[in-house]
Amino acid sequence: MAVLDKLVTWSRVKSPWVFHMNCGGCNACDIEVIAALMPRYDIERFGMLLVGSPRHADVMIGTGTVTRQIAPRFKRLYEQMPEPKFVMAVGNCAISGGVFAGCYNVLKGLDKVVPVDIYVPGCPPKPEAIIDGVAKLLAKLQGG
Amino acid sequence: MSTVKIPIGPQHPALKEPINVTIEVEGEQVVDGKVRIGYNHRGIEKACELRTYVRDIYLLERVCGICSHSHTTTFTQGVEELLDEDVPRRGLYIRTIVCELERLHSHMLWFGVAGHEIGFDTLLHYSWRDRELILDLLEMISGNRVNYAMNTIGGVRRDISKDMIPTLKKGMDTFRERCEYYLKLCSEEPTVLERTQGVGVLPTHMARKLGAVGPTVRASGVDMDCRKDDPCAAYDEVPFEVCTWDSCDVFARVAVRILEMIQSCNMIQWMLDHLPKDEIRLKLKRRVPEGEVLSRYEAPRGELIHYIKSNGTDTPERVKVRTPTLANWPSVEYMLKGCYIADVPIIVASIDPCISCTDRITFVDVEKEKTWMWDSNQLRRYGIEFYKKKRW
Amino acid sequence: MSRKRPKLKPSLKEDEKLKAELEKAFGETVKVWIPRAKRMFIKVKPGDHRKVIQWMRDNWDLQHVTSVTGVDKGDTFEIVYNLYKYQGYRTYPNVKTEIPKKDPKIETIVDILPSADFYEREVHDLLGIVFENHPNLERLILPDDWPEGVYPLRKDWLPEGVE
Repeated sequence: MAVLDKLVTWSRVKSPWVFHMNCGGCNACDIEVIAALMPRYDIERFGMLLVGSPRHADVMIGTGTVTRQIAPRFKRLYEQMPEPKFVMAVGNCAISGGVFAGCYNVLKGLDKVVPVDIYVPGCPPKPEAIIDGVAKLLAKLQGG
Repeated sequence: MSTVKIPIGPQHPALKEPINVTIEVEGEQVVDGKVRIGYNHRGIEKACELRTYVRDIYLLERVCGICSHSHTTTFTQGVEELLDEDVPRRGLYIRTIVCELERLHSHMLWFGVAGHEIGFDTLLHYSWRDRELILDLLEMISGNRVNYAMNTIGGVRRDISKDMIPTLKKGMDTFRERCEYYLKLCSEEPTVLERTQGVGVLPTHMARKLGAVGPTVRASGVDMDCRKDDPCAAYDEVPFEVCTWDSCDVFARVAVRILEMIQSCNMIQWMLDHLPKDEIRLKLKRRVPEGEVLSRYEAPRGELIHYIKSNGTDTPERVKVRTPTLANWPSVEYMLKGCYIADVPIIVASIDPCISCTDRITFVDVEKEKTWMWDSNQLRRYGIEFYKKKRW
Repeated sequence: MSRKRPKLKPSLKEDEKLKAELEKAFGETVKVWIPRAKRMFIKVKPGDHRKVIQWMRDNWDLQHVTSVTGVDKGDTFEIVYNLYKYQGYRTYPNVKTEIPKKDPKIETIVDILPSADFYEREVHDLLGIVFENHPNLERLILPDDWPEGVYPLRKDWLPEGVE
């Protein structure tokens, strides 16, 4: 079974499947996440695939300010992901509320809802920073 | 035929914010559609009242990441009007150049998303690759690809130097060639024509009655454009035409946006040739005298207004922001009536909504009391398969 | 050092003509002022706003509501209807009216100008102003579990830093 575990970890590290959810932000981080998939940066050639359902995903990317309406839905999607699962918070708003900290209807960060493994700061972070974040996450995965 | 209610709930893989659309269906045809928005409500108007004008610029920039410069332009020109000061002409020209660059990047982004909705993923990749050219130019001028922070009360914060101008002009030539290629593609490619012609028709009188704005209303033959009707910044000096189209369907909206992109390329080149030698900003006082102002600007999606009321201090009394997408929702509800389920994604996308609609679609058969789930990818694929079968 | 360039202000002739038409039709019940070209502010009593807006629709073919804004002024609410006149000379009339805070009710204009629908709902949601005879005065932007009777945009309500 140790061989099987190693195989599964290897495939997860080599080709992580990513589910992206916008929690209610301004979209700047979303367009940078999607720009990372486009021909200029093209992370798909490294095996990273954007999937349409959390049930197929290894990594969940959360972007944008977490509003009160989105929080329960985000939690539900997180629970639908199979183990082991990882969450990446992209952008200042997902980390701590960003510019909107202190507004009503806004929670101060994604980690108030689900446990977050990696934080990528920026407003918005450039696609290079997002790719770096994913690479660090994979290194962490490989570490065990 | 029994009626089936389908709620399309919050989320969309092609970015933007979450909305909830409930549609009532009879067989393949949609009978009625209702929109529930608000998943993205962050309480910005209240936050604006608690912060100073300068901090508000940074807050309002993040209302929308795609049209961030539009919000700061509208806000700063409103405050400048309250202070009764004229911004130096070079500042206005630079402000307008960045406005038009933003229009280019926003329309190209939409174009890719629309291609993705009808199953034409190659178009998505091609157009977003061309969009990177504009983002490089914006990064050269302002230092960032998104959220450029160019505007301040009294002018702009960074100048366009002499050595940037040839790169900008060359970029505009390349981009204009690409736009002309896309126009040719859209008018000849049968996949695009089939999914967009005759779909989502919004007749002229309904567009006016429901208060539609932007390319949505211009695609119905109404020449409503704030840049001509109420010119701000440098628009009273730059020559350009308002692009309209008469067929009132989704194809018209595609055509209007591509024509606008070509117009913007020409405008930017004209402005670079005629850039005045002047200062770029004025130092203005912090306390704004009492008054009210209605500041309007034509954002890429339509008419954006800021109603600002000041009370003599350095924080505003009331800032009201009305984004163009809110004005276009009643038109979406109207257009959904009588269309096929397969057309729902492209109709919602055709007004260029500034919201991520990731959808979890629940089908409810009222008579048999059965429910089943589809996600947005499945709805989009359903639409593609539906039209493939129609062709054979 | 700031350098002021005098900008040529556009003429107010057309706006003055429209102001004269309004004053001829309504006399003392409207107070019209023009701060700059293409902006007109019209102050009326709460019941008269429907008559003025209907007159504008019938005589100027005004169909477009740009927005409806509510302002909390302490004891009263001020409601501003931001409109857009598209036919002929294009300008932006704004109809203002004030209602007491203790009894925030005003008649809707949705039957005259259907595009005011969403905006009136938004004002109701955030300030608690009731638009009488509105066909569908539901929540528009606040979450479903937001407590009743709490209106975030009122001056006496401050956000507590949500955790």
